[in-house]
Amino acid sequence: MDAGTGAAPDLSPTTVTQLASSDDPRELQRTLREQPVHRVGDLFNLVTRREDVEEALRDRTGTFSWSAVGMNLGNIRPLIPLQIDPPQHVKYRRILDPLFAPKKMALLEDEVIALVKELVDTFAVSGSCDFHEEFAVPLPCRVFLRLMGLPLDDLDLFLSVKDDIIRPPGVTLDEQAPYRERAGKTVYEYFERHLAERKDHPTDDMLAQIIAGEVDGERLSDEEVMDICYLFIIAGLDTVTDSLDCIFAYLAQNPDHRRQLVADESIIPSAVEELLRWESPVPAVPRVATEDIEISGCPIKAGEQVMLVLGSANTDDAAHAGADEVDLRRNPNPHLAFGGGVHRCLGSHLARVELRVAIREFHRRIPEYELAPGTVLEYTTGLRSLHHLPLAFPAGA
Amino acid sequence: MRILLDTERCQGHGRCYSLAPDLFDSDDLGHCVLLVDEVPAGAEADARSGVDNCPEQALSIAE
Ligand code: HEM
Ligand code: SF4
Repeated sequence: MDAGTGAAPDLSPTTVTQLASSDDPRELQRTLREQPVHRVGDLFNLVTRREDVEEALRDRTGTFSWSAVGMNLGNIRPLIPLQIDPPQHVKYRRILDPLFAPKKMALLEDEVIALVKELVDTFAVSGSCDFHEEFAVPLPCRVFLRLMGLPLDDLDLFLSVKDDIIRPPGVTLDEQAPYRERAGKTVYEYFERHLAERKDHPTDDMLAQIIAGEVDGERLSDEEVMDICYLFIIAGLDTVTDSLDCIFAYLAQNPDHRRQLVADESIIPSAVEELLRWESPVPAVPRVATEDIEISGCPIKAGEQVMLVLGSANTDDAAHAGADEVDLRRNPNPHLAFGGGVHRCLGSHLARVELRVAIREFHRRIPEYELAPGTVLEYTTGLRSLHHLPLAFPAGA
Repeated sequence: MRILLDTERCQGHGRCYSLAPDLFDSDDLGHCVLLVDEVPAGAEADARSGVDNCPEQALSIAE
């Protein structure tokens, strides 16, 4: 691998958006990896190679900060635990990690199966669906409401605030800011109301467990609980929708791979890991350097932002041979689709249950399908999902 | 063959114990707990699979 050549080459912000929105971002990722770091105007530095991304995520030297990333998500206080740096960060993970541990999430499987079947029932007989609208969007939101013990009737409210925060109308940040602000206000008011209700009527759902959580004998404040819930809406709904869209679009267009997992359900867990690696629905994550550093010889000054491109790290064939192909049985597959280091996705084990169950149950009912004739897939920017995913399959399934 | 765990590096990705549950388990946080001191004969491939799938390089093998 060649060493960096000092100054990082320049790249336009539109090229960067294609990391999520391109039909096949792997091509772009490959080109980007020819240089370890690209400067994107005054905005940030794109870090492209597996080794560098991994090291920055792991951040053994405490060089990188999330709290210093200036990102408007409509929140008035830092989102917990994402926008909290070590050493405070671990306090929150000690409370939250046990609630999202794999053994806890495995207990949800039956409920997720029921929700998946319910959704598939609504379109299976008809012979077509918009998988995005009718499955990928509602599933994670319903699972989340169940988990938190919130009314299912609030589904539409959650979906609209999530969209206004992640993909608000408007093009410039200034145009988008009022939507984010208004959605943020709605979220705070909503959880304020529900926290107050919980005090009068204790429950035993996850929200109750977060409220009761203690570290060193101390409970979280109401504000801290709200800052956690706020992050869940941003981190736990859209990401699963994105992953479902990416995975099912892939399987619709790659019938050989689809038939492989229909024929042998035991490969579904490794197929989920592989398609998360291949698609990297969260294409990149931000950090700010807190001191002057070098990444593969490229200087980064204190205060500058870096974007760690998980997608290109995941397909870096210089680090892992064969990373430029899909192998549903890949082993080993130490991918970074859920990030790494202290901010490793809190919800990864929940997401895995949702994705595995969705793939298994959907294909048991509808093993053969394709993109509806004439479909041109349009991937979104930011997080990689689809605007629509029209599927066609034999009617009466 | 022995497995070494660097608990400071483990972040609870859970790849090791989902792939090789006879050798690795999870604690309440979802972090790795080693179940064996010495890898039993025949389980070497499982041990390697657990170790090689860890995205944090928290696990290693000592022959
Ligand atoms: C397949 C679906 C998902 C993907 C691809 C995904 C991806 C990620 C990634 C890459 C990060 C690291 C961010 C960073 O380092 O800056 C992250 C963090 C996080 N995710 Fe997920 N996520 C998914 C599902 C979920 C779900 C279902 C939840 C449920 C609540 C969730 C909650 C979180 C939280 C709370 C964090 C912040 C953790 C921290 O800062 O300590 N995610 N996720
Ligand atoms: S795979 Fe690695 S990080 Fe994940 S639980 Fe096992 S040792 Fe820890």
